[in-house]
Amino acid sequence: MTKWKVAPLSVIVGAVWLLSVPAPAFARGTFDPTTEFEQHDWIPIHLGPLNLSITKAVAYLLIGTALTILLGLFLMRSRLALLPDRRQTIGEAIYEVTQVQIAEQGLPGKAIGRWFPYVASLALFIFTVNLIGFLPLPLTGETWHGIPVWGIYAATSSLSVTLALALLTFVFTHFEGIRWNGPVRYFKSWIPEAPKPLLALIVPLEILGQFMRLISLSVRLFANMLAGHILILTFIGLMFILQSLALLPVILFASAFYIFEVGIVVGIQAFIFAALSAIYIGSAIEPAH
Amino acid sequence: MSTLLAATTGDVTKAGKAIGLALGVGLGALGAGVGIGNIFGSMIQSVARQPELRGELQGIQWLGFALTEAVVFYGLLGSILAYVLV
Repeated sequence: MTKWKVAPLSVIVGAVWLLSVPAPAFARGTFDPTTEFEQHDWIPIHLGPLNLSITKAVAYLLIGTALTILLGLFLMRSRLALLPDRRQTIGEAIYEVTQVQIAEQGLPGKAIGRWFPYVASLALFIFTVNLIGFLPLPLTGETWHGIPVWGIYAATSSLSVTLALALLTFVFTHFEGIRWNGPVRYFKSWIPEAPKPLLALIVPLEILGQFMRLISLSVRLFANMLAGHILILTFIGLMFILQSLALLPVILFASAFYIFEVGIVVGIQAFIFAALSAIYIGSAIEPAH
Repeated sequence: MSTLLAATTGDVTKAGKAIGLALGVGLGALGAGVGIGNIFGSMIQSVARQPELRGELQGIQWLGFALTEAVVFYGLLGSILAYVLV
């Protein structure tokens, strides 16, 4: 069979298979992927109006933090050898990516010593938290006949987490801008060179832009992880909603998205967050004009 | 007009919300698709012209990719907010 005959054949097979799905099977079941992202207070801690309870996101963050520290100790604190073993090679690769691709892209030379640790640990931390979000863990908070249900959830698919991370960068940016340039020179650098009448329009936009950075930085990470998880959960959940084994091939799509998320999105989002943080802090330390 | 109105029995606002959601996500994806295609197309061209710059270009490429891709999610978020809140 030549490859030209395969395409129509696969269309026919697909159509027959689709028709074999029993029509009344649709709109059954009550699985809703968005319930996976609800936060319940597991250990309530209330300080006045503040709710500091341990929720699912907090548990994942704690695991992520511990793993990041362990990963750092394991990969970076090994005895350095002239002929590096695998462990040292991975550690050096991470170090090189964070230094060359992230820190040196955005930070000026005089600030690398101070801010390289921040952006590097940001990248490693977000990468770890994103990654454990795709490992099934018995932390869904639900039980099935006394056995904890395993599920996937990423702490970074909660806006509070990413907003807190973005807020760190936001505060550090302006703190460093003022520290290196003085408040007058720093805030003057926000005013671009433009004709006077236009300034009344540009300056508010520039100030708004500083706050938009906060939103774009946090929403990018949050929405990426949330959309990825909902996509995978929906594809797998489709089988249980429609209760039809004919939907078994849907697992293939779910796996494809899973591989895409784990292979590309997890790393890229950690890289982007750290790189943009470096660029923002660097641009505050050395304003363009 | 009256036939149109007669056809729309039931909760029309829900349908409007769903259309808004789909339009928001779809148009966002359209824009991001064009943008991402542009980025990777330019990357291929530049590497074909100067293969030795590949390493340097890769960092910029992924940065641009993520910045462009985020556009879909702004659309998605806005649409979901509109869907839930309105």
